[in-house]
Amino acid sequence: MMNIKKFRNEIENIIECKVGSLHGGEMLSELEDWDSLAVLAFIAMIDKNFGIILDAEKITNCKTVDDLGALLGDLISRK
Amino acid sequence: METLSAVNSNSVPSLSLVGRRIVVTGASSGIGRATAVALSQLGASVIAVGRNPARLNQTMITMQPGGHSSYLLDLAEDIDALPGVVSEWARNHGPFSGLVHCAGIEMTLPVRQMDAVSLNKIMRVNTGAALMLVKGMCQKGNYDRPCSVVMISSVAALTGQPAHSAYSASKGALSAMSRSLAMELARKHIRVNTVCPGQVATEMDETVRAKLGSEKYESIIAAHPLGLGRPIDVVGAIAFLLSDASSWITGTDLIVDGGFTAQ
Repeated sequence: MMNIKKFRNEIENIIECKVGSLHGGEMLSELEDWDSLAVLAFIAMIDKNFGIILDAEKITNCKTVDDLGALLGDLISRK
Repeated sequence: METLSAVNSNSVPSLSLVGRRIVVTGASSGIGRATAVALSQLGASVIAVGRNPARLNQTMITMQPGGHSSYLLDLAEDIDALPGVVSEWARNHGPFSGLVHCAGIEMTLPVRQMDAVSLNKIMRVNTGAALMLVKGMCQKGNYDRPCSVVMISSVAALTGQPAHSAYSASKGALSAMSRSLAMELARKHIRVNTVCPGQVATEMDETVRAKLGSEKYESIIAAHPLGLGRPIDVVGAIAFLLSDASSWITGTDLIVDGGFTAQ
């Protein structure tokens, strides 16, 4: 189980932005470094932590940072 | 006037593998399974090695009958043990005429996410295990003459792709390693070559498709002038390199990629 804060920290690491700067509602399309390589890095991070290979198309359909977390359902604790 | 024996010695070498005993790793799926099945059809006796019992059994069922055996083995688990494992197989079945190393893992990981664990894992499976299998194969009593080793490398050994640095490193190392092995083992009449496939529709490829998404994946297919490969498209090259038809070929990469690297 990973909590939502740690999950956002992982994304901050992927897109190289300041730790604690993401709050969940940010639009992915407005994040400068959220690109195809970031999607691959996100897939790798999820695979490493949860043993799940997410479909790239599901990721590209996400609008916000927290939409990404929603892909993992109960595997992300909201606390 | 040429004698009959001289004429025969100049006859076209055969692609037949009748009487050859050949180890195929990664035989539970993809190119490995297609190889095991094709070699059985060419008359070889196959030692099929894989990790997944159900899928390996499916390979055995699909092969033409012919004194084949299978072994469940995770090559990455203990690569130091592999030479001894090959010797045990040789004791059980007799010396080998060939090895096809199809086992391997794919890794799509941007460099920023790379870590030593991931790098060591892919190098251990794709490169280290191959070397240790050959170490076992080239021991006295474990191989027959002629003997041919075929490593499944990749066009990733020759071209670059984003997020493929570790995979490319492992396959590039496999190709480079094979050239040196070819030089070292020529004196034992063991040939060592690689086949470098382009994108092939396998179970591994399904994971790549999921990771990349349809649009990117379609662009990769479009970069193959002859379209996406099938395992059977690669098998012909493997069988050729195992057979007497390639008896003067060693230390080379045979690219089988539908034209991908020709551009």
